[in-house]
This record gives sequence, C-alpha cells and structure tokens, in this order.
Amino acid sequence: MSDATIQTARDAGLVACTQCGRVHGAQETMCVRCGAALSSRDETSLQRVWAWWFAGLICYIPANIYPMLKTSTFGSELDNTIIGGVIELIDYKSYGVAFIVFFASVVIPISKFLAIAYLAYSVQYPTTLPGKVRQHLYETVEFIGRWSMIDVFVVAILSALVQFNFIVNIHPGIAAVSFALSVAFTMLSAQSFDSRLIWDADEDRRT
Amino acid sequence: MTDMPQPAEMERRPRKPSPWRNLSVVWLVPVLALVVSLGIAWRTYADRGQLIEIEFQNAAGVKAGETTLHYRDVIIGTVENVGFTEDLEKVLVSARVDNNIVPFLNETAQFWVVRPEVTAQGVSGLSTVLSGVYIEGTWEKTGGPAPDRFQGLDQRPLVDVTDEGTRVTLTTQDGTVTSAGTPVFYRGVQVGRTEAPRLDESGSVVMVEAFVEAPHDRLLTTATRFWDNSGFSVSLGADGLTLDVGSFAALLSGGISFNTFFDGGRPVEAGHIYELYVDQDSAKTNAFSRVSGNTVTLATVFQGGVSGLTSPAEVRYEGLKIGEVRSVSAFVTGEGNDMEVSQQVLLEIDPELMGLPANSGLEDVLDLLSPAVDEGLRARLESANLLGSTLIVELAKVEGAGPASLDRTADPYPVIPSVPSNVQDINATLEGVLKRVNGLRIEELIQQATSTLASIETVATGSEIQTIPKAVVDLIEDARALVNSEAAKALPGEALDALADLRITIDRVNSDGVIAKLSSTLASADAAMANLSTASDELPALVADLREVAAEARDLPARELVESATEFLNGADALIDSEETRAIPPALTAALEQLRGLLAELQTGGAIENTNAALASARSATESLERATADLPSLTARLESLVARSEDLISAYGARSDFNSETLSMLREISAAARTVTSLARSLERSPNSLLFGK
Repeated sequence: MSDATIQTARDAGLVACTQCGRVHGAQETMCVRCGAALSSRDETSLQRVWAWWFAGLICYIPANIYPMLKTSTFGSELDNTIIGGVIELIDYKSYGVAFIVFFASVVIPISKFLAIAYLAYSVQYPTTLPGKVRQHLYETVEFIGRWSMIDVFVVAILSALVQFNFIVNIHPGIAAVSFALSVAFTMLSAQSFDSRLIWDADEDRRT
Repeated sequence: MTDMPQPAEMERRPRKPSPWRNLSVVWLVPVLALVVSLGIAWRTYADRGQLIEIEFQNAAGVKAGETTLHYRDVIIGTVENVGFTEDLEKVLVSARVDNNIVPFLNETAQFWVVRPEVTAQGVSGLSTVLSGVYIEGTWEKTGGPAPDRFQGLDQRPLVDVTDEGTRVTLTTQDGTVTSAGTPVFYRGVQVGRTEAPRLDESGSVVMVEAFVEAPHDRLLTTATRFWDNSGFSVSLGADGLTLDVGSFAALLSGGISFNTFFDGGRPVEAGHIYELYVDQDSAKTNAFSRVSGNTVTLATVFQGGVSGLTSPAEVRYEGLKIGEVRSVSAFVTGEGNDMEVSQQVLLEIDPELMGLPANSGLEDVLDLLSPAVDEGLRARLESANLLGSTLIVELAKVEGAGPASLDRTADPYPVIPSVPSNVQDINATLEGVLKRVNGLRIEELIQQATSTLASIETVATGSEIQTIPKAVVDLIEDARALVNSEAAKALPGEALDALADLRITIDRVNSDGVIAKLSSTLASADAAMANLSTASDELPALVADLREVAAEARDLPARELVESATEFLNGADALIDSEETRAIPPALTAALEQLRGLLAELQTGGAIENTNAALASARSATESLERATADLPSLTARLESLVARSEDLISAYGARSDFNSETLSMLREISAAARTVTSLARSLERSPNSLLFGK
C-alpha cells in the first residue's frame, strides 16, 4: 500500500462529513444529510488545540499544589495533595493503589500534554515520526484521556460515601475541581485536533 | 480530450487573514483559567493570616498542622510549627491566626493548652480526648498592636481577662485548704474561685489569689471576712454532736466562704489582702476592726509582766471594743538595782468605733482622750473573761490615779498613761473581801448569843424549869437560823468567791513580782484568817456555856443540844474549807480541757483522713479518666468504697444524732453521685459515640 498512488478526496474536490461520513462537493458548507458543518480542513483547529491545551495546563498547576482530599478524623483535619496521597499510600505499603493513582493522576495527564503538544507541533513543523504512528498516538491520547478522571471519580465517591459526622469526613479540595477541569480541557484539546492535518503535513513533506 | 471530465473547479486561495481576526473564542478559556488560578492563589496568600509565636513550658500533644487555635471554642488558626526557643528552655509554637482576628490581638492575650480534666468541680476538655489538645486564647477586646511572641500559660487562667470581677489576695498559714479552682462561696452560692496557693517571698505566709465575679464583687468590703469551709466541721455543743458539711464539691476540693459581719466597710480595690480564717466562728470573733481600715496607733507602757497579752487582744473603752493590740515589746529602764522591765504595748484604735467621724485622724482621737486622761483615764490590763488566761487592755477611769497627762509628743506614738495591771487589782479585791469578812460583826453576834444564853441560864435556874428545855431548844434553833442567814450566810459565799478569784489569780500570775505580791496578799489573808480564828476563839466559850446549860438541864436531852451546835459549826467550817469547793475551778478547767481535746481529736481524727482518702480516690480517678474514659466504672467502685468507709465512720458514732443524720444525707448525696457516674458509664458503654457528639 503506497501512499503515493492515492488520490485524496481533497485532491478530488470532495469533502466528507465528519459526523455521518457522506461525501459532498467541495463547495458545500453543510451536510445535506445530518446538517453538520463541512470543511475540508479545520483551519482553527490548531488554535483551539493550543487554547484548550494551555487552559488544561493552567488548571493542572493548582491541581497539584492544593489538597485533593480533606479528611477529618475526630475533629483533626488532614489535607492531601495528589503527590502527598501517593506518598502516603506508599507509606501504607499499598503499592498497587499507589501506582494506579500515580499513573492516572500524574503519568497520563503529563503524557497527554506532551503528546498533544507534539502532534500540534508536528503539523506545522517537519517531524521524524511517520504519519501512521502519529495517528496511532492521537487515537491513544483520545482513548486514554478519559481514564485520567479516575482520580476525580475516587474523590467524588469517597466524599459522597464517607460522611460519618464527627468520626470521618471526606471533602473534595480545590485540586479536585481543577484536576477535573484540567482533564476536561485536555480532552477538548485532543478533540479539537483535526487528525487530517497529520496526513497533510506528511504529504507536504513527501512532495 | 476537451470533453475529458475535469476535476471540479476549486477555489483554493488560502486567505491570509490577520491572526487576530481569526482568533478562536476558545482562547478565552485559558485566559479565564489563568485569571481564576491567579485569583485563587492571591486569595490564599492574602487569607493566610498572621503568624504569631507562643512560648510554652510544655506543649504535650501540640502537633504542627493539626493543633488548632481557639477563641471562645471557635477555631481561629492552626499551629504551623513546633520548635524551641533559642536557648531550648521553652517550646515555641508558631501559629497562623485568621486575619479577621488579628486586629483584636493585643499584649493582654493569654494562651494555654486545653487538655481533658476531671476535677471535683466537673469535667472539662472532654472533646480533646479523641481530637487531641488545642490551644485556647483569650484577650481583652480593646485591640491594639500585637507582639510577635506571647507567653503561654501552663493551665487555664483563673480569670479570663474578659471576665469582670475583683481579684483579692487571701493570706493563710496553711496552703492545704485550697487548691487551684477552689470555689468561693457567698451564703453557699459560688461566686468565684481561687488560684493555686503560693508562698510569699519570705516563705512565711501562704498567699491565695481569689477571684470574685461581678456583680458579686460589690459584696466585698473592708469589713468582709473570708474563712475556709471545706470538709466536715464537727462540733460538740449543748445540743449534742453536730456535723456541718458544705457541698459535695467543697468536701472534695475545699471551699472558701466570705461574708460581711459588720457594717461600715468601704469598697475594696483589686488586690486587697484578706486573712483567711480557719472557720466561720473564728472569722466572726476576729471580725472586729480594721473595719474602716482607718486606724490610729497609740502606745502605753505597763510596768511588770503582761503575760497573757498578745496581739490582737481587744482594746476596750467604756466596755466597748475600739481597737486591737498591735504588738507587745519589752524594754529596760534604769540601771543596776533600779533596773525595771517595762512593756510597751501598741494599740491600734479605730476612731469610728469611738464615735468619731469615719475620716478622723490621730489628732481627733487625742483631742477626745486628752481631757479624759486628765480626769483619770488610764490604760490597764483586764482579764478577758472569767476562766480564760487572756488579757485585754482597757481604757477606764481609775479612781485615785496619780496625776498624768497624754504624752502627745512621745516618739514614735503618743503614750497613754497606765496604771498597774488590773491583775493586781484582783488581788486588792480579794484583800477587800477578806477585810469585809474580817469586818463582819461575828464577835458581836456571838457575844449577843452568849449573853442570850446567859439569860437562858438565869431563866433555867429559875422556877419555870419544866418549860425550859423546849424553849432552849427553840432558842438555839433561832440562834442557828440567825447565824445561818443574812451576813453570816454571806460569809461562806463571799469566801467561796474569794477563793475562786484567788484560784484564777494564781492560775494567771506567772511572773515573780506578782507572786511576791500575791504571797503578801496571802499573808494578809492569813492575818485575816487569824483574826477570824481569834473571833472564833469565843466559840468554845459558847460551847462551854452550852455545856453548862446542858449540865444544868440534867434530865433533859443535852446530847441533842450539843450535837446540833457542833453540827452547825462543823457544817459552817466544812462549807468554807471544803476540798470540793476548792476543786471546782480545776474541775471546770479539766472539763474544758477534755472538751477541747475531744474537739481536736474529732478535727484531726478519722474524718479528715477519710476526706483525704476520698480526695486521693478522686485524684486517681481523675488520672484514670485522663487516660481513658473506660475507667469510669472503677471511679464508681471507688466512690462506693468511700461510701463504705464513711459508713464505718458513722457506725463509730452513736445512732440517731445530728451527726448521723447529716452524714447520712451526705452519703445519700455521694451515693447519688456514684449512681450518676454508674449510669453515665453504662450509657457510655451502650453508645460510645455520645461521648463524641456530646449527646
């Protein structure tokens, strides 16, 4: 399967609806079947990617500084940040849980930031990785993004369940909100990315 | 070829729009996020509060980041760091105080660590059992610049600086009567509390700071007296054994009461010093004086011994108490054989008690006394009561006192002239009594009787001899009644009084000079007795006469006659010189000694020990409760054992007495307390979380 032999839809003056897949002529601006807006390439895509990316990054900072969980036991309150929680779990020898939390709350978000930034960067500037690999990368990022919410779910469930008045009480901290926002923003950032740009860049480079 | 289908014509002219015009709205999101983040960061920084440092001797349980700072039980900050002062002498706790509190902090602030405490007054700080200690602070609400470093207190201060009331100082000899937090009662209502007793600088007096809450502090005047009303008070009186018990708490931890027994006191300033009396009675009896606080000091000098005169003996004027003896000191005058010991007595006199205006000074008192001294007013010693050996100073007009005047210029205090102590007057009185005895016309009486008998004799020798015996007997009876009654009868009584007085005098007199005088008095008493006996010499003549009469009335019942006469004489003699009569005062004294001993025994005996045991139990119970509330049942057990012990105590005393009923009611109180504790323990066992939620 050689890329060189393929004539792209764009070359043929066609544009496909990204929602329902129906192919239209290039002059069409709206899908006649599902009514979605048509565009051969989303020109504001990269802008939106970077905007969401920055928003996510900004939210990620307080998510790590501020406490995620406020645990009050017998009147004494204990604040835990994400990293603090992980360290505490390691102290309690719960290595498995510590790894999951660390992976979901630190590794995944940071990898996502790096991956999205790399993809957006590679569209505009020559890159070494082939398009297919980058497409896989993009799909992985989109798929795995939602799993970062695992920490937020844990906090939400804990604070809903652990409400025993004086004995134990768990409240979400500011970090829980900003972490959730950060994850949401990075997901939006990934979604804003028009993956067709990967191939454009690939083609440009080849020709 | 030209028909060849061409790809659709596409306008592919990439626009070169301004990057600004094409700017996506999405960029607003990161900008907003940035603004919000910065806002949160700034607020957190601004709300961080001010860091203060508190020095503690002991900060057990204080943890950085966990221990909170409270004001009126509301959290106002958190401890950030626990370290040491530069010299490692104290623990330095750094705490961050909320910004809205900081403006009110000032140098009056007091901080202490709240820990669980169980005392007889109640349980406090129970919430800290599980949640850990916290630091409580209080300060005056005036605000002002706050220092960076505060001195923490070891324990909750007696007085919250925001409490209104008056702080006074009590002085006592025995610090065991109070402890920190001992309640202060007024008519049985708690109106204050005390701090832990401390020694003054010299170590001779125990000082106890007491705080009386407003508005009760207006009950305090200079005439107020404080006394210790802790524990039992057992007294043996005419109405039997009585037991006086304050409240249960006062029994365990002691208590202090105050009351004002006199009018005329002035309001006191904070820090007024009161004496703490042992009990209410001594508070009352010592309650004179210094009522107004305005006293003047006079001096007087007594020659010879003033044994028995101590401070604060009363000073009386016209029978009324006007002051107290402040001090007694001896000094020597003259040289060689003329050397004489004199006693200088300082008298503290309250002008108000002499009827002068409240603000009268020394001059007013001297103006009042000076003319009186000219007319014979003198200071003299007087016995305080019939049986006691204490002396008082009396200002009285003495008849025949030599000319003297008030020495206004004497240094350091004006001197009131004195007369020899009244103790010698007592001797003089005794002498006078004996003189009066001497002066009784017994001889005349006896002579009259003799002449009467002589007349009887002539009658007896007469013709109407048959009727004589009966008449003689009647006559003798009459004579006997005559001697027995009136002045003759007064003789034994007065002699008895004289002996009683003599007895007191001998008891009291200790110094050589007085004894010498006494012996001279006794010598004169001897002489008087001799006179008496010469007078009695005539009695045998009377007997002889009687015998003659008897002889002449041969057949008549002479024996009866003689016997009745002898009986009479023996009776009179025995009455005057009876061992029993003499023994009365010592017997009375001994009885009093026994009474006193009994009271002392009761005071120092088992009752106090039991109280102490109860206190020890309560204390150990406190410690147990501090460790874990699970030990509550053992407290109950201890209280029950206290009850058992108290029952033993009761069985030692008789049944159906006041003591018994009082004690039983107290035991019922203790039992009720024990039951309460038991039920508390049970309910805690059933629902331990009630401890946590305070329900």
